[in-house]
Amino acid sequence: MYYLPCLWAFFACAAFCLVYNIRGKILPLSSFGGALGWFVYLSLNFLNNDIFQFFFATIATAVYSEVMARIYKKPATEFQIVALLPMVPGGGIFYTMEYCVIGNNEMFLKTGLHTLGIAGALALGILLVSSLFRIRSAVPGTKK
Amino acid sequence: MDYDKLVSMAADAGYLLIANGAEISRAEESVRRIFYAYGAENGEVFAIPTFINVSVSTPEGRPVTAIRRIPSRRVDMGKVDRANDLCRRVCRTKPKFESVEREIRRISAQPVFPFPLQVAAYALVAAAFTLFYGGNCSDALVSFLCGAAIRPICSLLERLHVNLFFINVAASFAAAAIALCFANFNASLNYDKIIIGALMNLVPGIAITDFMRDIIAGDLIAGILRFTESLLVAAAIAIGAGIALTAMRMLWGV
Repeated sequence: MYYLPCLWAFFACAAFCLVYNIRGKILPLSSFGGALGWFVYLSLNFLNNDIFQFFFATIATAVYSEVMARIYKKPATEFQIVALLPMVPGGGIFYTMEYCVIGNNEMFLKTGLHTLGIAGALALGILLVSSLFRIRSAVPGTKK
Repeated sequence: MDYDKLVSMAADAGYLLIANGAEISRAEESVRRIFYAYGAENGEVFAIPTFINVSVSTPEGRPVTAIRRIPSRRVDMGKVDRANDLCRRVCRTKPKFESVEREIRRISAQPVFPFPLQVAAYALVAAAFTLFYGGNCSDALVSFLCGAAIRPICSLLERLHVNLFFINVAASFAAAAIALCFANFNASLNYDKIIIGALMNLVPGIAITDFMRDIIAGDLIAGILRFTESLLVAAAIAIGAGIALTAMRMLWGV
């Protein structure tokens, strides 16, 4: 059952393209990045560690965005901003807040730290790919 | 060459990029390339998400500086794209300053999607993310309404010049309240999935993606600003939804 969540991720990203005013052929391409990221996340289920899953899924989307940006000569942000959205831990923030409101301190801390871990995995994934692609474009003779 | 016009044009180009959500390194590099293209190699530029400062020394040694404050930023990748293309073209063909200024004004005046379509886009985002997080079709329908409520509230409060933090609290509160009202009358709804889906509209995507890219590029202040911004917005979203949840518990004991 991989395809249905990936399909929803695609549609969610496509709707976000309208919010961010991304039009034309970039719209399906960046939305596909979101679906790709979620596919990587789901297919790494055997790791049983969702922070690692998020990390690798972020790397996949970030590499996809950088490659697409170079093919189509567009800013990489344009792809990345949309493609990363399915991985943003919106659920984690919400459940953390809900536990806080209920007064379940143990679960509040546990969920909060887990959400922070996911956010860190996303940041680290972007960091890694962004720095690697910067090395490549800094090599003399290669065009940016 | 008219250095006043060069500096003013470069500042406008940088402003256009940053105000619509480009990374700081992109804006700074675009300005620097424009200076190179027109032969002003000693041009300097410093930008953070709220401010851009551009300066050039004329051959006589007179410094020419322009400063632009960037009071509000929004994400409009279409404009970033156009502005980026314009900067590349300027560096290649070195057109007259007047025509570049005209082009910059044209790009910044470019219309976004009409308001009803924006509302529809927010509603679609909410519905699609509810389905993505595992909600069913009736959840998505309620989420569609919550998402549609967010955009009018945001634009109304923006018109009243309310600060960003409170706008997010209010929008998040409204979306959560609508979801909880529906959930109160129909217990089969997954109110958590609805609220999470609707609140994805408010998530500061640009801050999250750009802050690491900015820090990696060496723009530490810009990265810290964006990080702070994303923390503030996340807190605002959580507070808004939290108020709604608490209020509903007290009213109905959901």
